[in-house]
Amino acid sequence: MNNRLLIINGPGLSDLSRFNEFGHDDLTLEKVQKKCSETCESLGLSLEFCQSDDEAELTNYLTRACIEFDALIINPVSYSHASSLDFDIYTSNIETVTLQNKPVIEVHIANIFQKGVDVTKPIKVSEGNVGFVSGFGIHSYELAIRAVHRKLREN
Amino acid sequence: MNIYVINGPNINLLGTREPEIYGHETLDSISKDCIKKGLKDGHDVKFMQSNYEGEIVEWIQHAIKEKIDAIVINAAAYTHTSIAIHDALKSFSGFKIELHISNPHLRESFRHVSYISPVVDAVVAGLGANGYSHVIELLADLQKSYK
Repeated sequence: MNNRLLIINGPGLSDLSRFNEFGHDDLTLEKVQKKCSETCESLGLSLEFCQSDDEAELTNYLTRACIEFDALIINPVSYSHASSLDFDIYTSNIETVTLQNKPVIEVHIANIFQKGVDVTKPIKVSEGNVGFVSGFGIHSYELAIRAVHRKLREN
Repeated sequence: MNIYVINGPNINLLGTREPEIYGHETLDSISKDCIKKGLKDGHDVKFMQSNYEGEIVEWIQHAIKEKIDAIVINAAAYTHTSIAIHDALKSFSGFKIELHISNPHLRESFRHVSYISPVVDAVVAGLGANGYSHVIELLADLQKSYK
């Protein structure tokens, strides 16, 4: 049976037009999904691709990742560094997935460290044993899928 | 495409230094794998490693002068301290990728700040030694799709 990969897209990612200013022009979530499907198909991974603005729904997806999937890629947008109760729930959910030795990679379309960021004030990212890919546009997902695939093969 | 893969302090100890964090692969085997992958698509991948900050700055300046297409940099501990490397990278107009074998954000708090991240195009961390070959593969693919 094919390994099952879940890709979760967090709040606001249904509209990618704001990434134009980062040089990632004309991106839509449909294009991202298409690219991910193609990459997964070529590697023999079965894919579920989802997006939600709702935190409860995102938590449900993370719970499903623990039970139904072999690997997780998540674009948490700002959700990962909200520095709040939500953030604690989010990281503990991610940690639960990684504790099962399932590959988890956090992806971002733009380089989240690039624009107007004070480097001396670190951004929080997901905890647990998580990989991180940021700034390749649509290809952030592609790289993450390949990395997940290789990790699953090695496990 | 000409690609420099620049590695900072202690990366020469890969394979023996804290293998539970950095894995068992040596820099030599990683570089051989990447050079081979690059060659397959007609790319010239050069691996370099130094424990000296100034030498890393000079390599970046060399990349600027030689109009190298892309730099993949694992500045290791200098990531968190070096304004000199930050400045040098700023002057390099090719594609720049910051790479780490582990994910520094999950480790000691002194590794949570990177002077490299704001001046690169993309950041890859925590994918283990495989991160290098994934990045080289992606760069080769990107170039194909832009041709």
